[in-house]
Amino acid sequence: MTDTDTYLHATDVHRTFGDVTALSDVSLDVPAGNVVALIGPNGSGKTTLLRILAGLLAPSDGEVTYDGPDATRPLGYLPQAPTFRPGFSTRETIAFYARLVDDDPDELLDRVGLDRVPDRRVEALSGGMTRLLGIAQALAGDPPVLALDEPASGLDPGMSRLVFDIVEELAADGHSVVVTSHDLPLVERSADRVVVLDRGEVVAADTPEALRERTGGPLHETFTSLVQADDSVAIRTEATQ
Amino acid sequence: MTGPLDAFWAVFAREVRGASRSRTYLLLALALTLVVFGLAQAGNGPSAGYIPTVVDVLLVVEVLVPAVAFAVGYRAIADDAVRGTLDVLATYPLPPWAYVIGVYAGRAVALLTVVLVPLTILGVAVAAMAGPATTVFATHRGVDSPLLFVRFLALTAAFALTALAIAVAISALADSRRRAILLALVGLLVVVVGADVTVFRAMTGGVDVGLDTLLGLSPASAYRGLVFETVLYVAFAGRSGFIAVPVAAAGLVVWAGVSLLVATLAVRMRRA
Repeated sequence: MTDTDTYLHATDVHRTFGDVTALSDVSLDVPAGNVVALIGPNGSGKTTLLRILAGLLAPSDGEVTYDGPDATRPLGYLPQAPTFRPGFSTRETIAFYARLVDDDPDELLDRVGLDRVPDRRVEALSGGMTRLLGIAQALAGDPPVLALDEPASGLDPGMSRLVFDIVEELAADGHSVVVTSHDLPLVERSADRVVVLDRGEVVAADTPEALRERTGGPLHETFTSLVQADDSVAIRTEATQ
Repeated sequence: MTGPLDAFWAVFAREVRGASRSRTYLLLALALTLVVFGLAQAGNGPSAGYIPTVVDVLLVVEVLVPAVAFAVGYRAIADDAVRGTLDVLATYPLPPWAYVIGVYAGRAVALLTVVLVPLTILGVAVAAMAGPATTVFATHRGVDSPLLFVRFLALTAAFALTALAIAVAISALADSRRRAILLALVGLLVVVVGADVTVFRAMTGGVDVGLDTLLGLSPASAYRGLVFETVLYVAFAGRSGFIAVPVAAAGLVVWAGVSLLVATLAVRMRRA
């Protein structure tokens, strides 16, 4: 799905941590109704860029601007390893976040398929369910932009597909979704645009089809050709699925 | 559309609900009950009246109350930071002040329950065990009274809330649970003895301020002085001026206010 509106602009974003440059002159747009995937080796700056886009980290230089519609909560965020306060049930946990933005907790649980376990303690949820609860939290208040940090990391293939199905539905509903992932086949299937990061720099940004055409093979082949060889070992390819 | 006040209530309700399910707080209350009753019984205070009972437990309360306050508050914000919840909350219409005050108020409910229930039961025990002279409401020196014990409870609550605010500030500054423990121990030492030592060093260093005023600047000595000045004074005919009451009262308020401000700024700085 494509749309002319762009909800988020990043312009010449630069970020350093002490002497280490995590991001260098990164610019990208996040259009409405699109899934933008940030891929790259571990340590390439994906999470740093996502946190800057989410407004959780200030860039050392450059700027990020939100041009989406007015909203109680312009941007929803799913951390890489969502953790919730123990001792609370699934519904109590999501009810807390929903109350902050006057949303319906039952509807949020229903959207991610957790409506069957509202009374289960969060510490008793599986890794996949915890991730789904994190996504429900990110959806609270219906933010126009969603920043999801490796939403399918560590999940079995079925649960990973479910998570990316939700991502696709969100984009189809008109949300802008920025997602980091190592799961290239799912990225290839779901993303409208793929941004390849390596050592803090954007080495390619295009549609999955256009990136595939560069090598004629699946996305992971293009990815391997783009990033430096010693950086690509952590990437999950089709063969490892 | 929700406002900052609604957000505050959401955080407050979460803290109270979490505290109501914690067995740790129940254990703390039981331990405090055993200690204050043990001390009071050893000193024979309850059968002698409210003032002797306060004298029996004051020293230990002065140490235990901040210890309990730090136990309740030292992970209040650090846990949310370690879990990444602060990052998530930064994307909600929840101002840092509403979050900090919500956490503080929720934990305050737990703390006051843990501290005041044992002391109130002790007061009831005094009412049951002490002689009839203790049932009058004192209006002049030399007369024991339940009103004096209520004042003791109120001052203890104020001291506890001040210590909790300091603990919450320390929790906001910690970036890990281990550091939260370390900072809490340092903070507890500062509250219990460190500030007193600083006051005495200031005195010996030739600071031209009266002792009654200087003592009001330390949370522990401010509390101790206020108890002497407004509760135990009936036992010291003709003597007063242990502490400058306005300075001591303001001292507790300023410690609490500055601590909550520090916590709010720390949470705000984490967001960028």
